[in-house]
Amino acid sequence: MQNKNISSVLKSVQKPGRYIGGEYNSVIKSKEAVKCRFAFCFPDTYEIGMSNLGVRILYDVINRDPDVWCERVYAPWTDMKEKMEQYDIPLAAVESGDPLTDFDMVAFSLQYELCYTTALAMLKMAGIPIYSRDRTEDTPIVIGGGPCVYNAEPVADFFDLINVGEGEEVLLEICHLYNEMRDNGTYKRAAFLREASHIEGVYIPSLYEVSYNDDGTIREYKPLYEDVPKKVRKRIVSDLDKAPYPEKLVMPYIETVHDRIVLEVYRGCIRGCRFCQAGMVYRPIREKSPETLCKQAKCLFDNSGYDEISLISLSISDYSELPRLTDDLLSWTDPARVSLSLPSLRIDSFSEELMQKVSSVRTGGITFAPEAGTQRLRDVINKNVSEEDLMRSVGIAFRGGKSNVKLYFMNGLPTETMEDIEGISQLASKVISEYFKLPKPQRPRGIGVTISVACFVPKPFTPFQWEKQDSLESLEEKQKHLKEVITDRRIKYNYHDSRVSRIEAVLARGDRRLAPAIALAVEEGAMLDAWDEFFDYDRWVSVMERCGVDPDFYTTRGFGLDEVLPWDIIDIGVTKAFLLRERERAYEGKTTPSCAEKCSGCGANKLGGKNRWCK
Amino acid sequence: MVQVNSDRLTVRLKFRKTGSLQYVSHLDLVRTMHKIIIRAKLPLYYSEGFNPKPKMVFAAPLSIGTESLAEFMDLRLSEYVDPTLVMERLNSNMTSEMQITEAYYPTAKFTDLKWMTYSISIKTAGACLEYAHKCRDILLSDSVEVTKNTKSGEKSVDIRSLIKSVASDFDGEYMTLRAVLSADQSAFLNPELIIKVLREKAGILADPDLTREYYSIMRISAHNGDMTEFR
Repeated sequence: MQNKNISSVLKSVQKPGRYIGGEYNSVIKSKEAVKCRFAFCFPDTYEIGMSNLGVRILYDVINRDPDVWCERVYAPWTDMKEKMEQYDIPLAAVESGDPLTDFDMVAFSLQYELCYTTALAMLKMAGIPIYSRDRTEDTPIVIGGGPCVYNAEPVADFFDLINVGEGEEVLLEICHLYNEMRDNGTYKRAAFLREASHIEGVYIPSLYEVSYNDDGTIREYKPLYEDVPKKVRKRIVSDLDKAPYPEKLVMPYIETVHDRIVLEVYRGCIRGCRFCQAGMVYRPIREKSPETLCKQAKCLFDNSGYDEISLISLSISDYSELPRLTDDLLSWTDPARVSLSLPSLRIDSFSEELMQKVSSVRTGGITFAPEAGTQRLRDVINKNVSEEDLMRSVGIAFRGGKSNVKLYFMNGLPTETMEDIEGISQLASKVISEYFKLPKPQRPRGIGVTISVACFVPKPFTPFQWEKQDSLESLEEKQKHLKEVITDRRIKYNYHDSRVSRIEAVLARGDRRLAPAIALAVEEGAMLDAWDEFFDYDRWVSVMERCGVDPDFYTTRGFGLDEVLPWDIIDIGVTKAFLLRERERAYEGKTTPSCAEKCSGCGANKLGGKNRWCK
Repeated sequence: MVQVNSDRLTVRLKFRKTGSLQYVSHLDLVRTMHKIIIRAKLPLYYSEGFNPKPKMVFAAPLSIGTESLAEFMDLRLSEYVDPTLVMERLNSNMTSEMQITEAYYPTAKFTDLKWMTYSISIKTAGACLEYAHKCRDILLSDSVEVTKNTKSGEKSVDIRSLIKSVASDFDGEYMTLRAVLSADQSAFLNPELIIKVLREKAGILADPDLTREYYSIMRISAHNGDMTEFR
């Protein structure tokens, strides 16, 4: 542990192991020997941040460059934050213990909207001005990236530079440009940002002027200079077989959320569920070969000692070579006592064979996501699974010894009625009936069905991006109704706090006029909003009111089809015309085939990419 | 590697756990060690049953906030491997704050471990040699009452019989107490309780503004009932 300041307070905080660093495989370089110091910040706790695959990949990629040293920074828990304030200890990086003001770049991975306040609180703890415009030549360049920045507008004023899309290549190009300008003496903050705006996948919010119409909608985005791109196209890594993937993992001493090897099998998704942002923004689909994956898995096992490998992607059973991959992996993982887990199984492709291959067999539960209670609504959202698929899958699970089935749903979906809500309860009851169809000796003991219902947030870059979000009253009424119609005590019902979903929607769909409200929330103590115990709805309502932000404008109003959307400044490859077509088909109750069956012309193929379905 | 007599398959590893690793709990140490022995590619002996685990047994778990030069772990292997090789393989898979210092075939049982020597360093207002001696005398008086939090609320207990000896010193900055405390499995004394006694009875670390002032505890050595070195 390098940070002497922190060591003096470690005895008086909970879980001090979060702050010690010194993990096996963490990267230590000489700060004198590097040209650029890069602080990779995760705006949540160590346990969450250490589990994030994006951080693991980018930490490795950046540190492969001898001229750059990438270190990690996490948000302290509130008890540590208090101690740091009491003793004037600035936020520091885990590896060197140096404060963030010593760095050239301070980058945040924005994984969920509710982490915005944590990111800003971290800047404050580091003594870095939260608004981009208040930073001087000596302040580090503050970068944002991750899935949230497909609409970065609500936080655009806080970031000097935003990395839109996959970061493996872009972040290094940014560092190289920085080093070059430093070396040849041309570096000035403004000149660097202007130059960086020419890199594909880089968005410099301060180089655009946004104007608004009288009704509050956006009139236009105008680049301040001719050489600044009118639209920022997201960046992708073309060939995942050739892209760097970590060979070593930083090994935490304390238990983290996903404490295992995570093997990314492919990027993108062939499905096109109409509510799903990830399914649109990660297109085009690009697969890794089973050879690459096996090599990466073996290498990570040798260097980590983890006894579990999780195969991840948006929908693992859609991987075109899944049988070959699992067979190849099992040939060595079984003897080495390493288990495989497949967390994102689809109902329509679940098989006995697959279940036997994965470790989750040992645990008593399995999770499926029908998302909606009736076939009509599942067709509207293009979740191409049927009730028969679900019954077949749970039947296999029950015969395989699983007695707990968890089902994920959403409420507040477009066109939803109470009939669809009741359908959720009926579906759960049918799952229980399926259990009793088995002859008694074949039934695992203790049947239980848990239904978990989230509130729908209409996300940018989905066919539902223009939709209204259901009002709090309507969402709560639906939640209450569902509670009433569930009478079977073997069905457990969980639902999300609709107030959290409303704030999430504001932050996901907002524009630059939100910045003062977010800054004020942080001023008044907001941090770790993604944690139930710290989320304060009343504070959010209050700061928005005081900053003249009407949450209904971004939620229950809905957006006009011809309105300029806050995220129109970004080009994700998938066209607006495609999203509009999909929206129409949703209202007609028509499903759209997956990319594996037929190309629907979404537009993402123009981004290139190897090993994809769209040739 | 050849199969040999089964009693040469258990290797005792004495290791140190120092610096920031004092903040890693015993449970997390076990998880960490599990990964280390897998990385070291040793032929591990796995427990029988539904969820087989490699067989590792630890002596006298260390509480959070205590460093140690005398930790012990028995590792069971499925094939004979020279203990020195076991040590080398493990050490190359650990960081510098945790390293194995000895590897050998055990003769004593963990239940033979009766006493542990700790070095307790305290930096507090008014620290001096006399103050250090006063602390020692408090710990060696006829009874040493300390309040302990139990399930049924606060309770006062006498820990005097668990303290074998205390020596005191002052180096100009830190007062150091070298204390031999019970490590018997049925009467284990957590050295943090010594700090608690001294807070209550000697007023150390009492000033709230001095909470950043530091104390550190290091486990130095382990002993059998007759105070010979435990191995």
